[in-house]
Amino acid sequence: MPDRKRQAHYFSKRRNYKAMNKKLFAPFFFVGPHLILFLIFILIPTIYGIYASFTQWNLMNDPVWIGLANYKTILFDSSSTFHTQFFNGLKNTLLFVVISVPLLIVIPLLVAVALEHKKVKLKGVIQSIIYIPGLISISAAALIWLLIFNKQLGITGNVFHSQVAWAATQPYAWIIIFVITVWGGVGGNMIIYRASIAGVSKELYEAAEIDGAGSVRRFFSITLPSINFPLIYTFVMTTAGAFNVFGQPLMMTDGGPRQSTHVLMMYIRQLAFGQGESIAGMASAMAVLLGLVILVISALQYYVMNRNTR
Amino acid sequence: MSKKVSISKYIAYLFLIVLCVIWVIPVVFGITTSFRSQTEVVSSGFRLFPKEWIFENYVAILENTSTAPILRWLFNSVFIAVSHTLLVIVIISLTGYGYSRMNFKGRDTLFFTLLGISFFPGVVNIIPSYKIIDAFGWVNTSWAMIIPGLAGMGNIFLVRQFMKGIPGELDESARVDGAGDFRIYFSIILPLIKPVLIVCGLFSFVGSWNDFLWPVIVYTDVDKMPITAGLLLLQDIYGNYRMIGQLMGSAMLAIIPTLLLFAFAQKYFIQSINLNSGIKG
Amino acid sequence: MKKSFVISLLMIFAASMLLSACGSSSEKTITFWTPLTGDDGAYMDEIVKEYNATNPDIKVKHVITSDMYTKLSTVLNSGKGVPDLAIIHADRVPGFAKQGVLEPIESAIKGQPEIKEANYLPQAWSTGNIDGTQYTVPLDIHSNVMYYNKDLLKKYNAESILDDNVVTIDEMLSLKGKLASDEYVVNDALLGWVILAQVQDLGGDIQENGKPAVNTPVMKQAFENVKKIADAGLMTPFGEDGYLMFQSGKVLFSTDGTWSSTAHAKVDGLNFGVTNVYSPTADKFTNRASSHLFTMFKNDKRSDEKEAGIGAFLEFVREHSLEWAKAGQIVASKQVNESPEYKQFMQSFFTSNEQETKSLYIYTYEYYPYVAEAVDTYCADIVRGNVDLDETLQTMQKFVEDKIAESSSKQATK
Repeated sequence: MPDRKRQAHYFSKRRNYKAMNKKLFAPFFFVGPHLILFLIFILIPTIYGIYASFTQWNLMNDPVWIGLANYKTILFDSSSTFHTQFFNGLKNTLLFVVISVPLLIVIPLLVAVALEHKKVKLKGVIQSIIYIPGLISISAAALIWLLIFNKQLGITGNVFHSQVAWAATQPYAWIIIFVITVWGGVGGNMIIYRASIAGVSKELYEAAEIDGAGSVRRFFSITLPSINFPLIYTFVMTTAGAFNVFGQPLMMTDGGPRQSTHVLMMYIRQLAFGQGESIAGMASAMAVLLGLVILVISALQYYVMNRNTR
Repeated sequence: MSKKVSISKYIAYLFLIVLCVIWVIPVVFGITTSFRSQTEVVSSGFRLFPKEWIFENYVAILENTSTAPILRWLFNSVFIAVSHTLLVIVIISLTGYGYSRMNFKGRDTLFFTLLGISFFPGVVNIIPSYKIIDAFGWVNTSWAMIIPGLAGMGNIFLVRQFMKGIPGELDESARVDGAGDFRIYFSIILPLIKPVLIVCGLFSFVGSWNDFLWPVIVYTDVDKMPITAGLLLLQDIYGNYRMIGQLMGSAMLAIIPTLLLFAFAQKYFIQSINLNSGIKG
Repeated sequence: MKKSFVISLLMIFAASMLLSACGSSSEKTITFWTPLTGDDGAYMDEIVKEYNATNPDIKVKHVITSDMYTKLSTVLNSGKGVPDLAIIHADRVPGFAKQGVLEPIESAIKGQPEIKEANYLPQAWSTGNIDGTQYTVPLDIHSNVMYYNKDLLKKYNAESILDDNVVTIDEMLSLKGKLASDEYVVNDALLGWVILAQVQDLGGDIQENGKPAVNTPVMKQAFENVKKIADAGLMTPFGEDGYLMFQSGKVLFSTDGTWSSTAHAKVDGLNFGVTNVYSPTADKFTNRASSHLFTMFKNDKRSDEKEAGIGAFLEFVREHSLEWAKAGQIVASKQVNESPEYKQFMQSFFTSNEQETKSLYIYTYEYYPYVAEAVDTYCADIVRGNVDLDETLQTMQKFVEDKIAESSSKQATK
């Protein structure tokens, strides 16, 4: 990688005679349009959101600046409801991330590898079956699974004779959240891995096969190293997405029992858009703190994985 | 060796079949529920297929053209998602090229700063975002759905990761031949990243299709709404679906277009183009 | 083939751009926002359609929004696109009024002598009156009620429970041990609303001199009473969908909303009736209710002419809202709810005599939404004995106080 950079640098030097302004213009041609869009539709709203975290605001009036008060309450006032909510929400969100992210990486990877097997037929059909759940709207998907986990009407009670109300008993409440998450979520990463593995040169596999390498060894010594860039991508993005979870717990357990599946994003949304007057400043402060957590963790992931691939 | 192949084949098959069965049962259950009466939905015992197939749910869905014009919504969604996707592909391929293959000062810093900013959960951002859309006069128009999503970083990150996997020798030899950046982008890189662009296109399409928080805010006109925002109108005021079969029916109708697109796209994203390993010649 | 696909996509793109370009809204329409999703929206559409068919000077355009309050925040914040008329829920009135975003309704109804308190259910009218100013005109009362399964009551010879129109908790407890193992006396639908009704039955309230009163002996008693039912194994199991269980004929009583009757009616073989929510005492019963209210948000661009048009529309609704009864709601207009046609609807039970009408209780406490949120968040775990009652009541009290301290209307009065 540094080697390539140096080479490119060398080439760009060779073209020094070209006009300077063209050199400045060219990058802008490529990244400029997006930069403008980003500025308008992400940066400005985000800055406003961060500004709101230093205010008291009900979404309708003008925000009133109160400095660090929201952050102080959330982080240090242990008697405050907001402090309790934030840390309970963060704990539950972290639990969700730690369990769901590996599942959302490993299962799609295994599917992609299995589908790559030369002898496997009906690849398109299998691929579609795994992908379809991701297309179903979250409310319909939740309803399907709630019926399936319903003791009277569903599979768990009638086929497996489970006497437990799954949505209201731990660890089952978490299990149904993970089931719907994995069911609806593996399709996307599977497609990325399929596209990446399809790009790995066939000769590499053939050579390895001639050397007598088994499928497991081929997976670890050829497939994995060859798709490390997509792997980094999926790992970072799946994690960031998992931190933002709220649809599945909201629909499946409504945060219960005893708020043990109440994730941070649910608290944030309730504060901002719940019953009664909005407490949007506090919600923003929680969102900014969540954003910082996501930022630190994804930076660490990227740094560690990128270093390991060198 | 042939024995080895067959064992691994059986393991692969077993894994895929078990997974497919688990994955398909809820889908089938969802589809068949759309053919059940409310009476049957709430009667005890689990049945994958209805005792009696009824079509009233679909009739009710399609008949209601005033408060829930579902075909109109489907059309709106197709229009929004197609326009959005085409623009996404242009933007992300250009931007991805810029951040992976051009050299300008602070390139990676800029990229990771933007990526980091995009990680901040945008909860109250809905208010400033609405004001911006309003300033452009885009409230209640498709632009409000098509344009803002183009600013996203996720797909650009993916494209950049893929482009980094393409060896630098390729563009360098082209440069020696006197090719400029645009030509390298257009005739060398673009064909190579076609599979990933199709993947991103699919993601953008599905993402735009399934977005329900934002369209609820920007649309007031029932006839202009996309399907996901429209389906929310079928819930009752306390968020419950009273008619389960009808909800399932409309949810199933809503996935047909994306499913067709997937069937079309899946041929292309597994095209064997050597992406990750060396490309020779 | 690929090329033709791309071309066809571009064609769709171009065609739709043209389509979306046309279509503009007239100055001569009343934009009317409601949160009435589902079937409710269709009934309201019907009323609007009938009104527009009378060829009024200004027609009404009904816009249903699934997340109306968030959407209202955005338009009120930006000051553009504020609707001319809207329907809001009763518990939102004090908050909106205090934030100064509501227009007194007087300016719209001054030409309509019949739109006055005497012609509506009194609590539905007065809930829109804040410090002497009337901000709203009611459409309905929608309430927590109790459905019963006639066949099951008969099966267990328990029809006598209904004799005095009050189902007491003791009467329910008397069924202990008599039911089949997969059947239950009552479900936990709208449990939070049920608790808030118990508070009234016990003579308590959720506020004291404007301060929230959640951690009170009365609240504790209310929870303990309902918990008795759950402890006796008579309530549908925690985490089960009690609403569906009632529809499947496994539950005697369902503490559901007036609006659910339309869905229950679509289940074949479900033979059901409606009565008051259970009470701890035979002397009193309360059905915790809310109301859909017409209101005008402040908007300089709303002309006097339009306001007169709004008045005319509200008068039409007062006279012709029988359609709304089809949605299962208790129509607020006396002209409608006292008419013989209205008697065919199940919910007419709740306006059949003065005692019934009085039982429909709408909380008007300014911070009611926070109290309700606290009750909703914690009630299931309390009733199921998952948490310590005293400790949780303290937490709930703090929950409400913390939210009030952060809300800006509180700030403004300081």
